[in-house]
Amino acid sequence: MVSVAPVEVERPASDEVVVPDVPWVTIVWNDPVNLMSYVTYVFQTYFGYDSAKAEKLMLDVHEKGRAVVSNGSREEMERDTEAMHEYGLWATFRKDD
Amino acid sequence: MAEPFRSGRKGLEVRLSDAERELLTSLFTQLDTLLDDGRPVSDDPFEELAALSGLAGLGEGIADAGDATAPAESPPAPEDPAIARLFPEANRDDPDAAAEFRRLTETGLRARKRAAARSAAEVLSREGPVLLDEGQAQSLLKSLTDLRLVLGERLGLKTDDDATRLGAMLMVGIEPYEGWQPLAVTYELLQHIQESLVQALMSKRR
Repeated sequence: MVSVAPVEVERPASDEVVVPDVPWVTIVWNDPVNLMSYVTYVFQTYFGYDSAKAEKLMLDVHEKGRAVVSNGSREEMERDTEAMHEYGLWATFRKDD
Repeated sequence: MAEPFRSGRKGLEVRLSDAERELLTSLFTQLDTLLDDGRPVSDDPFEELAALSGLAGLGEGIADAGDATAPAESPPAPEDPAIARLFPEANRDDPDAAAEFRRLTETGLRARKRAAARSAAEVLSREGPVLLDEGQAQSLLKSLTDLRLVLGERLGLKTDDDATRLGAMLMVGIEPYEGWQPLAVTYELLQHIQESLVQALMSKRR
């Protein structure tokens, strides 16, 4: 997925350097409580993935322990992570490397 | 047992028994309170439920959670592990990023989770048959998850195996400590109810 978000200017801590945004990802981690059907439903509803893709991602989470569910700017990934938390999924964001 | 939810012509019907609706209403109200001040529930969940079921409108009149402006400083992760699970660390590599995320999002998330719990309690406590609209169904779905996450933490569920074992223990009547059984039974019931709701919502999408 390509991000067409404009280059973000990071608020400088000390320097006045303009830092371009690097690709970031949102990861969903397996947990013992959430139902497989529910996780699939969330991926379909929030991300708009079709049922095949949603189910594949859910199985990755279930079997491998985690899966990358979206990618884009840091801001977008923070937003996705927040949404996942609202659904009770355990999600984190990090730089894609 | 009738299927708890059914996607019918008229909408999403709630077919829980009165006892189940009463139990759920109590639990959602308890969740709302738990999210409000972070105090852990008592060790005896039935005691807590009995106390709450006699208190009408516990979820009302609580400070308006609509003002979700971010605090100036990052709040520490919640002490209660059950509540911490509802607001997990968002960045495993960078504690500053995780703290910033918490500062910007936890207040709003907490407010929305409380609103969902209150909506769920209100809908289920109505007299007579209940039809859920989309918003109510989503609130119920999310709040059921939050409830199950809290119970899961209380039950010490860490792995998929733990969850499987819980069902087996219930079936053969093993009770690892006093008071475990009502928690475990409730957990299993909520799982059944949520599965039914997910299936009903999925069938609507097709």
